[in-house]
Amino acid sequence: MFEFLKKVFAREENSSRNKANDRLRLVLTHDRIGASSQLMETLQEEIIALIASHVEIEGTPEVHFITEGRRTALDISIPLKGR
Amino acid sequence: MEKKTPDSQVIVVTSGKGGVGKTTTVANLATGLAKLGYSVVVMDLDIGLKKLDLILGLENRVIYDIIQVVEGECTLKQALVKDKRFPALYMLPAAQTRNKDDITTTQVEAICEELKPDFDFIFVDCPAGIEQGFRNAIAAANKAIVVTNPEVSAVRDADRIIGMLESADFKDIKLLINRLRPEMVRSGDMLSIEDLMEHLCIELLGVVPEDRSVVISTNRGEPIILNDNSSAAQAFNNIVQRLLGNNVELMTLEEDSFWRKLKRNLGFKN
Repeated sequence: MFEFLKKVFAREENSSRNKANDRLRLVLTHDRIGASSQLMETLQEEIIALIASHVEIEGTPEVHFITEGRRTALDISIPLKGR
Repeated sequence: MEKKTPDSQVIVVTSGKGGVGKTTTVANLATGLAKLGYSVVVMDLDIGLKKLDLILGLENRVIYDIIQVVEGECTLKQALVKDKRFPALYMLPAAQTRNKDDITTTQVEAICEELKPDFDFIFVDCPAGIEQGFRNAIAAANKAIVVTNPEVSAVRDADRIIGMLESADFKDIKLLINRLRPEMVRSGDMLSIEDLMEHLCIELLGVVPEDRSVVISTNRGEPIILNDNSSAAQAFNNIVQRLLGNNVELMTLEEDSFWRKLKRNLGFKN
């Protein structure tokens, strides 16, 4: 039974519908701000590098694009090392 | 021509991508409204690649076209083609041997202004693309219907078009999902209504299921909305009601089972 359920869910996760949704999310975010995926990666790297050049980062910094409705925002979470 | 409403709605039907069903949508919504007694005119702005006359089955009645109107070869009234089924429905044909740059946004606006006193609804059939033809088509409109299919390429183009309409200050932009196949959504092989809403984030005007009878009615030059037995007709009728401001729930898109088909063929409503 468990195996069966696992199979069903795995199929759902790998469905072409899910794949289409994932690809669309990414491509629409890029389209809307008029940037390539390459540029967005560069942006993320540079933001982290800039912060790191001034203060010490602790843990895993995260820079994401988030969308709300038809708007896109940068979600930056950079944990800093305390003294 | 007798108007039923004091105002005129100018509705552009657009999509970005070609082949998603813009012209079919224009033909059906216009026919549906004319059937209810509203005076309706459809304007084909797909100059050089006209289709609307064919979809409406009016290809043999075309004498003049919109370019001849703007170039002064005929009057606007002379160019309007009267529908063979509904006296309140007219079509302003596109020119087939000219191109999109042969008319300007100002000229389109002027034609719309001239049409407004006689028509409750003015539909603009927009060409695919985002160039001059698109700019012409949205110039005079105060409402937009964005047609899309549940496919990644159509959704991406629809998103771009919605962005452009928003930049052009459109406040009334609604989504029409065409050619949805509920059984494929259920098996996880097609984007769902909810998926498209999540991506495009605009108000939903309606969903038209994939329906073989659309091909057949197109072959005959009769808009599908006149075929009461088809699910696409039911969907278009619902959309017509929503355009009139009536609240109609989305129809349930079930698989066309043997029993449903039998019931329909025996004349029962679904």
